[in-house]
Amino acid sequence: MANAAVGLAARAGAIILAPVGWLARVLDPPLRLMQKAGGQNGMVAFFLAPNMLIFGIFVLFPLVINIAYSMTGGSALFLEDRVFVGADQYRRLFTCGNYLDPGSCAEDLFWTAVWNTSTFVVFQVALMIGVALVTALVLNRDIRARSFWRAVFFFPVLLSPVVVGLIWRWILQREGLLNYMLHGIGLDPVVWLVERDWAFMAAIGVSVWAHVGFYALILLAGLQAIPKDLYEAAEMDGTRPARVFRRITLPLLAPNLLVVLVLTLIRAVQIFDEVYVLTGGGPGTSTLFITQYIYEVGFASLLRNPGLASAASILMGSVLVILTLAQLGIARKNEMRSKKG
Amino acid sequence: MSAITLTDVSRSFGQIRVLQDIDLDIRDGELIVFVGPSGCGKSTLLRLIAGLDRPTSGSIAIDGRDVTKVAAADRGLAMVFQSYALYPHMSVRQNLAFGLENARMPRAEIDARIAEAARMLEIAPYLERRPGQLSGGQRQRVAIGRAIVRNPTAFLLDEPLSNLDAELRISTRAELAALHERLAATMIYVTHDQIEAMTLADRIVVLRAGRIEQVGTPLELYNRPANLFVAGFIGAPRMNFLPGRIAGSADGRSTVELGGAGTMLVEKVEAAAGDHVTLGVRPHHLRLLPAGGGVAAEVTLVEALGSETILHARTPDRQSLLAVLAGQQEVAAGETIHLEFDPGTLHLFDSSGLRLQPLQRDSGAR
Ligand SMILES: Nc1ncnc2c1ncn2[C@@H]1O[C@H](COP(=O)(O)OP(=O)(O)O)[C@@H](O)[C@H]1O
Ligand SMILES: [Mg+2]
Repeated sequence: MANAAVGLAARAGAIILAPVGWLARVLDPPLRLMQKAGGQNGMVAFFLAPNMLIFGIFVLFPLVINIAYSMTGGSALFLEDRVFVGADQYRRLFTCGNYLDPGSCAEDLFWTAVWNTSTFVVFQVALMIGVALVTALVLNRDIRARSFWRAVFFFPVLLSPVVVGLIWRWILQREGLLNYMLHGIGLDPVVWLVERDWAFMAAIGVSVWAHVGFYALILLAGLQAIPKDLYEAAEMDGTRPARVFRRITLPLLAPNLLVVLVLTLIRAVQIFDEVYVLTGGGPGTSTLFITQYIYEVGFASLLRNPGLASAASILMGSVLVILTLAQLGIARKNEMRSKKG
Repeated sequence: MSAITLTDVSRSFGQIRVLQDIDLDIRDGELIVFVGPSGCGKSTLLRLIAGLDRPTSGSIAIDGRDVTKVAAADRGLAMVFQSYALYPHMSVRQNLAFGLENARMPRAEIDARIAEAARMLEIAPYLERRPGQLSGGQRQRVAIGRAIVRNPTAFLLDEPLSNLDAELRISTRAELAALHERLAATMIYVTHDQIEAMTLADRIVVLRAGRIEQVGTPLELYNRPANLFVAGFIGAPRMNFLPGRIAGSADGRSTVELGGAGTMLVEKVEAAAGDHVTLGVRPHHLRLLPAGGGVAAEVTLVEALGSETILHARTPDRQSLLAVLAGQQEVAAGETIHLEFDPGTLHLFDSSGLRLQPLQRDSGAR
């Protein structure tokens, strides 16, 4: 019976794959001809071309355009209608009496967004790594229904950020689920999204909830790569649990922790969609972050200023490039270390 | 210094009984080897003694103290893992110091112990290196060193040589034996390699499918295997087995019929005429009979090693036989040879595989 099933599966596979075979047969002669004409390097270029084209159109070209826009002024949309202003936009962003006091700056919203984002990054990254680590440590134990819990923590990662924002708005808004439950147990409702500090904390909490499963998974993989017998050796050595964690788990998890640190940093600097849906940047400007500032200055506000938005986005991009380079450097170092054994 | 007593120890994983009713007395200062085929439960037994795992039933005592529920760290034992389990991010020195620091030992004492172990194991030049920068043999020494510095009451070693190449394995084996002499500590050594067991052990415990088959000194096991399994497992090359039947007993001798290969007189055994038995004879105990008689067999392969000749042969009823003969022999494949052996070297096993004890020799017997 098992044999019959295998035979059936094999036959089904053969039928599904048959068109691939035909396609290969049809494509083979022209490709051979091309290789004869263009040589092997020509073929490499041919196969890379589609991807490079997409990269060029959607990444490289906009980047160049963006740099160009950042050196122009006015509210016109097309580049040829815009006037060249040199570094004026950058100068405007950096015109400030005191950088720590956005009110003294020419672009006070930009600096509000910068400081909001900085605060957000510090607390969100710390919380994210802490929660991801604890989650991974718990999921790495022999708890019951482990797969179920893993799914529970990973599930939000699969949700669209907009859905995440909407869900939590339903929960946190004035007449939302949370206040309903507080009322149910006799507590006073809190206007979570209207009070500055609560809204900021909600932004942090929701973004952590939405992504923590992903980072927990990276850390979990790292934990599982630590050989079990190291822990048994430590047990034979009479090591207290706190020392096991500090001297064995943490150092051996360090490469994964670094990856998670850099990835969460990058994501936190870019924070936008789920928070925008959740709070819209409010109350006031208390959850206004850089990406939202760029979006609003560039597209949404009445006095839109594409040049200023471009300049701001180039500045933010520079920070991200530095973080990404750091991440690549770490990845390369890890790779070299694992090769050394 | 410690004696370890296992009483009626069993361990099950779910429905699977991995160890069953293990009773064992490990004497103070002896080097005892657990040997058996892969998967027979050797590591599980060692982990129970170590305290890394708990028995499903039964009890374990060290020097008379019941430690069945005592944590691994409080049993005073040290373990050398098959994988060595060295902390990869610590230097050799830190690896050795780690357990001592846990015990809050003064720094000077730690340094002294590390220096002593490093000298004994000749690892002093590598103390500042990481395990990843050491060869397999050096890592192995560090793993042993980590056990030695703890000054344990007993050493537990799980296949400590299995990751070394053949040459290094033999030299390290000798060093381990010397180390045991020197430390005079109890050592429990796990291996699947019967040669390691034979060369190292004061006593061997043969395990099979979670049960103890026999406990004894290497020569006891070699000379008087308690059953077919031990007979086949201990000794290389493997013991030859031939099916036979007791034809009758008289004059202090028994006659065994070898199906199709003649009969044989052996010392009288405790089996009745007609009983099926298995004869066991080691390849080294077979001799060539130039004139015929004995067990006839057709040679299938000749391995001439110079100092000895190994003959692969087949009896008329297609039982294969192996004979190791001293020196060089003028025998070719295809020839029929006649083999004999001293009845004293013969082993007999009853139909359930248990050893049949030959009765006391009477005076006239050869
Ligand atoms: N934690 C465990 N869970 C389930 N089965 C196990 C576990 N540990 C060992 N076993 C089983 O117990 C048997 C004996 O294992 P082990 O003691 O490692 O054998 P050995 O060391 O003699 O090769 C094997 O069949 C193995 O699959
Ligand atoms: Mg094992």
